[in-house]
Amino acid sequence: MQSFKSKGLIAFISALLCVSLAFVFMVNRASAHKVSHDAETLKAFNDAFMEQVILGDELFHGATMEGINMSNTGMACAMCHPFSSDVHPHEYPKFQEQMSEFATLRDMINWCIEKPNEGEIIDPDGEAMKALEAYIYWSNRGSVLDPGRH
Amino acid sequence: MTDNKHDRDQVVGNVDITRRTFLHKSLLTGGAVATGSAVGVFQTLSSMEIASAAMSEPFSFAWVSDTHLYPRELNQRFIDKTVRAFSEVQAMGDKFDFMVFGGDLAQLGHPVEIELGAELLQEVTIPKHFIPGEHDWYLDLGESWNKHFGETPWTFDHKGVRIIGVDSVGRAPDYWSARGMSNEERMAHMSGLDGSQAGPWSGLGSEQRQWLSSTLSDWPKDAPVIIFSHTPFYEYFPPWNFWIRDWREVQEILAPWQNVTNIHGHVHQPLYNEIGGMRSIGMLATSWPWPYAPEGVPELTRPMLRVDPGDHFDGVGWGNLAMNAEAHMEVEYMMWREQVFGVGRADSGTGDNVNQKLSPRISDRGWTGD
Ligand SMILES: [Fe+2]
Ligand SMILES: [Fe+2]
Repeated sequence: MQSFKSKGLIAFISALLCVSLAFVFMVNRASAHKVSHDAETLKAFNDAFMEQVILGDELFHGATMEGINMSNTGMACAMCHPFSSDVHPHEYPKFQEQMSEFATLRDMINWCIEKPNEGEIIDPDGEAMKALEAYIYWSNRGSVLDPGRH
Repeated sequence: MTDNKHDRDQVVGNVDITRRTFLHKSLLTGGAVATGSAVGVFQTLSSMEIASAAMSEPFSFAWVSDTHLYPRELNQRFIDKTVRAFSEVQAMGDKFDFMVFGGDLAQLGHPVEIELGAELLQEVTIPKHFIPGEHDWYLDLGESWNKHFGETPWTFDHKGVRIIGVDSVGRAPDYWSARGMSNEERMAHMSGLDGSQAGPWSGLGSEQRQWLSSTLSDWPKDAPVIIFSHTPFYEYFPPWNFWIRDWREVQEILAPWQNVTNIHGHVHQPLYNEIGGMRSIGMLATSWPWPYAPEGVPELTRPMLRVDPGDHFDGVGWGNLAMNAEAHMEVEYMMWREQVFGVGRADSGTGDNVNQKLSPRISDRGWTGD
């Protein structure tokens, strides 16, 4: 009985710990999903996403941020891709004709920055790239996944 | 890749056929034509083979538009392409009775950009006629433009054709005063094609529609009319102002005339449609090509071959147009590449959009996260 009791207590404490850790490290721990999400939490997740979408939208339409220079021609992404059309994020990864290689969306974003825009390529895992990706995916949401399509 | 391109041309046959669009229905449908999905609102005529009593004395003219010049130090590339277009027009000058500049000379409507344009335009010494684009207008509401190139609308008769130029950009509903925008902010919102703030800015407006109506009133119904505008005279894709908002009223005015051709810029792409008794033809930009509208193109349009974004001379150019002896329009897209039109769906620049769903941008809507 004793051992059962103590096992039960340990389980109880671990559960408590898990719940509190889940709140503390909500976005960092795999255990985050062990509690249900209230509306406020979901809004916080969405706000974190939309913040990136809006930053990406600005960058895509010619804004800049410290440490990057995406264009030296006055060209912005949106000048060839209004509404981010003809970006086709849902078709990556694929063989990319311009690059003559198998490429991801991030590869292609950097190709456009370097070639048509004559800018400086950005960190493929950096803040600007993630924001651009967030905007492009958001703007194309509902498109049907079709990787590899030319 | 080069080999493939060559093969496609051989399949099509004579390169001239791929470059030149004779705007007869029979010829438009005669070849291997790739089309995007038709947009349902168009009422398409079964034929434009109009038995026109009015024969025309043939003549040719040139169209250049959408140079989108920045100040010299910011962008040399658009200057290079503008210079190339103007010098090619000038080199063929003997052939052309006049040149039309179809708007968007400047990128941000700045007097420096407009003056640069005026300077480059001096290369062309044949008679020139001008209509404004939205990029020329919304910094100072047309002040610099009108000073350099005169007011719009205008009209003249030429070899049996009534020729008209209209302003389809300068009569936007006021989106700036209530929001307290500066002139620069007003221009910035206008200069993004996919912006959310400038609204349905393209249209003729009632005053200009009345002018159009009275200008045509003494013209025989079977005699040809050419109307130059920056934006197309029908509803192609309103979110990018690929239309005039009062196109229905304008169609009503034009309906009695049997041979009306609308030549327009703004879309930066080959485009063709027939609606009512009118054909509407979209011309190339010299600066860069816009993608085709996400919903597809009018059924009668032969979409251009996909553009190579690595070559900034690709997908752009100018127009060599003619009114032939049968009073039909002929258009040659003077594109700086061998093959103009797509053949297969995957080459067409529209066939790729089947799985694509798009949303308008959000950051210019004042989204706060609430
Ligand atoms: Fe334009
Ligand atoms: Fe325009």
